[in-house]
Amino acid sequence: MKKLVPIVLIILLGSTILASCKSKTEDNTLTIGMELAYPPFETKDEEGNPTGVSVDLAKALGEYLDRPVIIENINWDGLIPSLQTGKIDAVISSMTITEKRREVIDFSEPYADAYLGLLVNKNSNINSIEELNQKGKVISVKKGTTGYLYATNNLMNTKINALSSENACVVEVTQGKADAFIYDQLTIYRQNKLNEETTKALLIPFQDSENWGIGVKKDNTELLNSINDFLKDFKENNGFDDITEKYLKEEKQTFDELDFPWFFD
Amino acid sequence: MRRKDRKPTLTNKIISVVLVILILVFFMWLSLNAIGLKLDFSTLLEYRQRLWQGFYMTIIISIGSLFMSLLIGSITAVGQKSNILTIKYLCKAYIQIIRGTPLLVQIFFFYYIIGTAWGVNNRYIAGILILSLFEGAYISEIIRGGLESIGSQQYEIARAIGLNSKKTFKFVTFPILMSHILPALTGQFASIIKDSSLLSVIAVIELTQTIQEITADNFRMFENYIFVGALYFILTFAVSLLSRMFERRYKHEYRTKKHL
Repeated sequence: MKKLVPIVLIILLGSTILASCKSKTEDNTLTIGMELAYPPFETKDEEGNPTGVSVDLAKALGEYLDRPVIIENINWDGLIPSLQTGKIDAVISSMTITEKRREVIDFSEPYADAYLGLLVNKNSNINSIEELNQKGKVISVKKGTTGYLYATNNLMNTKINALSSENACVVEVTQGKADAFIYDQLTIYRQNKLNEETTKALLIPFQDSENWGIGVKKDNTELLNSINDFLKDFKENNGFDDITEKYLKEEKQTFDELDFPWFFD
Repeated sequence: MRRKDRKPTLTNKIISVVLVILILVFFMWLSLNAIGLKLDFSTLLEYRQRLWQGFYMTIIISIGSLFMSLLIGSITAVGQKSNILTIKYLCKAYIQIIRGTPLLVQIFFFYYIIGTAWGVNNRYIAGILILSLFEGAYISEIIRGGLESIGSQQYEIARAIGLNSKKTFKFVTFPILMSHILPALTGQFASIIKDSSLLSVIAVIELTQTIQEITADNFRMFENYIFVGALYFILTFAVSLLSRMFERRYKHEYRTKKHL
């Protein structure tokens, strides 16, 4: 017992010192979180540097605010907690504004509209979202995405397999383990092109558009206002047209042919 | 009097346990305070049904894999000593490949390629099989090590006192083996419980998958993961208590008392 007392004291003292010596140096850097696994919006180039629509948007935001930008590659599930704990200043990661997310973080004005689509296995004879909502049908979704939220809220009869990556979801469909995969139209279109023999794409919108916003920590009004000013300015100066031209030329053509509304219109 | 000989009294033990808990709680409290995080576990209450199902599934998968991996491990441990070279090399190749690749890679490979090719489409069965194959390789090495640690004199003595091969196994090989490998085996069983969390990548709805789905809904990552960590700890702690019990059973003193 006598020996225990000093040990306890040392541990208590040590942890107090540890806790008090964390000093967060205030600097001007704007840290932006995104999951670099969603081409062509957030991805990496051959050298491993972040690239894509959201990356350009983040850089433009930094320029507008005259602050250096650091892009943090964070797993999708970790994006909102990173904001909450102040590890990052903003999330630009094709994140849809939802009511549930609004309860924990704040969103900027929407900067893009997206629709969900379906990647369907060719043998499963599904032609609409209604045909999917019945017993015996299986759907794959990526955990935490709006496709996942849509499926859990609307497809009550369907068996839902929530996987951690887009690729796993697609493999489930190509192998026939799942009848369909719900994700945004653009990814569905791209994955269908990659797997033309086994899948077909149902791109007809079956719900209202989803608005993408830039997320910030709750009550960080100052940053939120300047982000909204930036988005307005960026739109007026045709920034999104330049981005479309740079990353999404082919997709824009296809969307125009199908007469679908474009992300940034 | 040497201090080592003194056994700790019950009060001493209790005070120490309380102190340890206090230290851990205080450290946790300090850390949370430092980052200004408020935890609210009450949000988990509405998910209790799903949490229970996930917990239950983790137990099922762990127990299933425990028996399967013991079986696979025992067979391949003996197979490694086989006189038929093909069997010997096959067992050795299995162990090298499984021990040399990450579980995550094996899950994807066995589920999407081998599983699809051979029609194992049930993800729970596939999950148990994959986990058993993985842990079996480690258990195989543990058993092999245990078998090799039994000296040849033991068998000579057994023969000298007239034990037949069945009795030799029952009274010599098995108890010595058990007393040698139980601690390592316990660690491996705890690993099974923890490794089952990786099956969430193929959407097996066990504890980790459940918590990831809940996190996608309530965004309370910290509360969720701390809670799940505690649940896993309860399971692994139970395993180590059980093993402590078995360890005592295979001590020589205990067995001597029982059989004499």
